[in-house]
Amino acid sequence: MSDRLLRALDRLSRVRGVRGSMYVAAEDGLAVAQLLMEDVNGRALAAFAASMARKVSGAAAATGAGRVRFVQMQAAQGVLLVAIGSRDVLVAVLADPGVNVGLARLEMMRAAELALT
Amino acid sequence: MAEDIRSLSAELARDPSSLAYIQLCEVLRRKGHVQEALNVALHGLGRHPDHANGYDALARVHTDRGELAEARAAWERALAIAPEHIGALKGLGFLFWRQGDVRKAIDTLEHALAADPADDQTRRALAMVKGEPPPVAAAPARPSSEEPPVRPSGRLTLEQVPQLRATAERPTPPADAPEPAPGTPVVPAPAPAPSAPSPAEVRPAVFAGFEGATADILLLDARGLVLAGGLRASDGADVSELAAAALAGVSGEAERTADYVRLGAWTAIVAEAERANLVLAPVEGGAMLMLRREKSTPVGLAIRITERARVTAQRWLEGQTL
Repeated sequence: MSDRLLRALDRLSRVRGVRGSMYVAAEDGLAVAQLLMEDVNGRALAAFAASMARKVSGAAAATGAGRVRFVQMQAAQGVLLVAIGSRDVLVAVLADPGVNVGLARLEMMRAAELALT
Repeated sequence: MAEDIRSLSAELARDPSSLAYIQLCEVLRRKGHVQEALNVALHGLGRHPDHANGYDALARVHTDRGELAEARAAWERALAIAPEHIGALKGLGFLFWRQGDVRKAIDTLEHALAADPADDQTRRALAMVKGEPPPVAAAPARPSSEEPPVRPSGRLTLEQVPQLRATAERPTPPADAPEPAPGTPVVPAPAPAPSAPSPAEVRPAVFAGFEGATADILLLDARGLVLAGGLRASDGADVSELAAAALAGVSGEAERTADYVRLGAWTAIVAEAERANLVLAPVEGGAMLMLRREKSTPVGLAIRITERARVTAQRWLEGQTL
């Protein structure tokens, strides 16, 4: 299981601009598997990814928008992407501002599906 | 509403032991006079220390003030007096959900549902907290005398949407309801429905000119309280407060995390959901803007609209602090 997840993260890391990626337990915000550059604070990233996923999912449910599948946070010096594949596991990616979000999203959704099998 | 305040205040002045304090507290709270609402609730509870509805009203005031620990204590006190108090159970469920404690929220809402299995509103809230699709409306409507009570403001129609915040805000009892005997659990009772405007109708028209100004754009503060705009579900129900509560604290968390991972200031969060996209943007002082757009609206366009709305909200907020 762990090898497969790491391989999926490795594929993600090949997308230009990706600085790190990780599988995160949705419930407690702890990292399940990660592939991060040394200077990336994985713990903070994981905790926030889970919290943000939970909160926007709550807001989406409240407004009838349905289940949230993908979240991106844009910031001055980068983006944080979160794919919500199941209720249990998220895939989070930290990337440069110029990353091809569409490509990263594709790989992230694949990685999220992998976690389900 | 000002007339309500006057008449209820007059009634309390005539009879300080009147239970009208609950209605007055609620009207003041909805009007945003939370300190006065708090005073009224505390005064009423001073005279009726075993009044579960009073603690329920007090808890809602504390919630609006962001005093979640106090709100929890008040609801727990209500449950100590009346263990099946629906308003308190729903309120606590809401509180746990807002704090991210999904497990406790589910337990509490299941307790509320066990106390009133016919309450579709709780059933829907429970489904939402569990992340399940909203249940199909329950069976046959109850006789009119047993209809789920409607809030005095007509604030939310509870049968249709997972309106957890509304479930927490059960109606106040009639002012002339008899005081229960000591030790008797006080249960929620339906209240008359005066023709007060809904919260969406009295919120400032900050986003006039924007498409969906009162149905798809919401300005909320850091505590998850609605400041302006509004969100409506597909059936027209006002879901602003529920959505705002769900998003409480997101702005601060985003700011801190962006700092930890050296992303700089965050500018937008886009959530792609099955039927719509949500765009969040930071506004000064921890406030946040939320825009909802159909999936057919390109994300880039939704972000641009959000930025325009954010600027509008920022100006409005600056005007409020002058």
